[in-house]
Amino acid sequence: MRNARVVMLAVAVTACAKGADTTGDSANGHPAAVQTVSGATIAAPRAGPAGEWSLPAGDYSNSRYSELDQITAANVKGLHAAWTFSTGVLRGHEGSPLVVGNTMYIVTPYPNVSYALDLATEGQPLKWKVRPENAQQAVGLACCDVVNRGASFDNGKIFYNLLDGHTVAIDAASGKLLWQTKMGDLSRGETMTMAPLAVKGKVIVGSSGGEMGVRGWVAAIDQATGKEVWRAYNVGPDADIKVGPRFKQFYKPADAGANAAQHSWPGDSWKQGGATVWGWISYDPVLNLVYHGTSNPGPWNGNQRPGDNQWSAAIIARDADTGEMVWAFQPTPHDIWDYDGVNENILVDLPMGGTTRKALVHFDRNGFAYTMDRATGEVLVAKPFVPMNWASEVSLKTGRPTMNPDKMPASGKKITFICPSLEGGKNQQPAAFSPATGLFYVPTNNLCMDFEAREVTYIAGTPYIGGNAPEVAGPGGYKGEFIAWDATTGRKMWGIKEPFPVWGGGLATKGDVVFYGTLDGWFKAANARTGEVLWKFKVGSGVVGNPISYLGPDGKQYIAIYAGIGGDMGLLIAGDVAANLPFDVRERGSTLPDLARWTSWGGMLFVFSLN
Amino acid sequence: MRVVLLTLMSGAALLGCTDSRAAEVARAPQQASVASAGDLAARFVSHPENIQPGMVKPYAGRVMVNPYEGNASAAATGAKLFVSYNCIDCHGADGSGAMGPSLADGRWHFGGTPGEVFESIYQGRPEGMPAWGSLIADDQVWMLVSYVRGLQANKNVTTENFAGKTVERTGH
Repeated sequence: MRNARVVMLAVAVTACAKGADTTGDSANGHPAAVQTVSGATIAAPRAGPAGEWSLPAGDYSNSRYSELDQITAANVKGLHAAWTFSTGVLRGHEGSPLVVGNTMYIVTPYPNVSYALDLATEGQPLKWKVRPENAQQAVGLACCDVVNRGASFDNGKIFYNLLDGHTVAIDAASGKLLWQTKMGDLSRGETMTMAPLAVKGKVIVGSSGGEMGVRGWVAAIDQATGKEVWRAYNVGPDADIKVGPRFKQFYKPADAGANAAQHSWPGDSWKQGGATVWGWISYDPVLNLVYHGTSNPGPWNGNQRPGDNQWSAAIIARDADTGEMVWAFQPTPHDIWDYDGVNENILVDLPMGGTTRKALVHFDRNGFAYTMDRATGEVLVAKPFVPMNWASEVSLKTGRPTMNPDKMPASGKKITFICPSLEGGKNQQPAAFSPATGLFYVPTNNLCMDFEAREVTYIAGTPYIGGNAPEVAGPGGYKGEFIAWDATTGRKMWGIKEPFPVWGGGLATKGDVVFYGTLDGWFKAANARTGEVLWKFKVGSGVVGNPISYLGPDGKQYIAIYAGIGGDMGLLIAGDVAANLPFDVRERGSTLPDLARWTSWGGMLFVFSLN
Repeated sequence: MRVVLLTLMSGAALLGCTDSRAAEVARAPQQASVASAGDLAARFVSHPENIQPGMVKPYAGRVMVNPYEGNASAAATGAKLFVSYNCIDCHGADGSGAMGPSLADGRWHFGGTPGEVFESIYQGRPEGMPAWGSLIADDQVWMLVSYVRGLQANKNVTTENFAGKTVERTGH
């Protein structure tokens, strides 16, 4: 069935869902409030105090919602910088700090130093600083800068990953390094950048390396001992990927049956099949399922791997205790655009069709936003959230996209203006959800690409890509937009257009203020109901991290954000803004040629409060 | 241990453009046991950038010569090898940098003489540059040297002046 892919002509660029467009400045007049979704709730609100931020996204559901409401749409214009901290590292600062009790925990990009800051003492002195051993070779094996997306706190310990493929546990009180477990094989190009999720006495981790021809996996480590509890690959035989009697697919893919994640690849190509887990993990304590995405298949050139290439570019639900695969779904079967499936899965209960659905909302790189049933993997809604032309729609009967044959890369051909680009409609920058409005707040990219695929040979420890894909602005000329999204209908409710891709994450707060940062170094607050920008501050470097909110020991609400351009967008796309070393003078990237004028390297934490 | 390591490196320097490198390197530890300090020093490559303590006359190491220097057809073959060995996906399609550093900006982290570039490719470098000497033949390394050293023309920009430029902006 590999060649019997149904394709239909899609015309031009599919328009985005209707919605009010605002701009970065709304100085004249105030936009009207949009319709909200009442009765939408976070699947598993955080167990701890509202003023803490102990997990990468604040809670298991990946909501990035804060119950704090001292800062409101009415008073946010009085926000000001309260204090700052230099991490000492000038690379892409994705992720965010954690706050537990009176302590803030920070993990830097490589060399992955961690700091504990005492928030209860004026000047925020260090309680401890940890410098784990971390192999230098990892720097050149990481595809997209030497980022680290943060840590998890649980049972008095801080857990995070090192770029060189180790996971570490640190005693939160003393800073003692409790264990350091090798999880990835650096010699094959397995690095680690994702933020682990602490779940039920375990830590769930995965690796990067989808551009290096690695074989992706997700694993659980015992929090107390550092020993691996289970490891599930995402490609290969059923036993390796932990497919057993509990595995049920809502949609039967073209390649089905036993060992489909092996047979949907030619020969042994699955062994270099990518499908890494470098994004955000979420957890539903009632279903006891962890949810993760998987990366692009290797190599990018799809001619070298005909078939659906399960389970690359997929969303996967696994039993938290055993790693068993319970369901899996490929937004982009046989991904030939580097669309990945790795973006975060946000777990919410949504009022739909007169009932409450246990939903999972996922804004895929491929440009479609999926609202799914998180128990079964059924697609309830799938609509474009950015301009796109590679596909026209997603069938709710098959779960598959209707592809545009004019936008399908192949060896030796140059396909022009495919939207979205390989950076996706959204990438690592996570969205936020507010139960107060029932809306999702999504940082997006508006980029398109030309794609030239070529044959590539696998050489362990080197990139396994086989394609060039220069990028340009998408329709409309802007390159990013921060949008509000109704996942029950698949409609954009408002949008703030930005000159550059919005590569930092979102934060939603009970005070009806949403926060995000931009590549050109603006940190912004917007009205959650109207999309009006209410406040902005120019931080020291471009923002690729995620804002958090916490309650200080003084009883005040604070907002914290990293400023430190980098990551894929900073390192690869911007050219001389964030070259490999500060004295490099590489040419400016053609995608964001103007960015170097607005920002430069940095590595700072900025913390804001009212008065 | 240190002596053995240095000998391996100097072995790389000595062998020049032969295809029998692997066999020679395999014998190197044996040579180390009999080599005097003076013999070893004579094998080291001279790095023009090195600081000479006391400002003594520059250390007289060997100067490695690229047998393909000025050979356009070797550089063209090097360009093909640059793709075949996946150099392209680290250093960029035009060598201007991606995952790895730019090779086209005229600024070399480990020296830009033919011998130094040969060493970088043959031995690898600390931040993830693989040691290709274990996999590919010397003459191919030299062809890669010819190609990448040809990339640096006119791209070393010391000053960028942003003033007065019209920049199209959407949004704020």
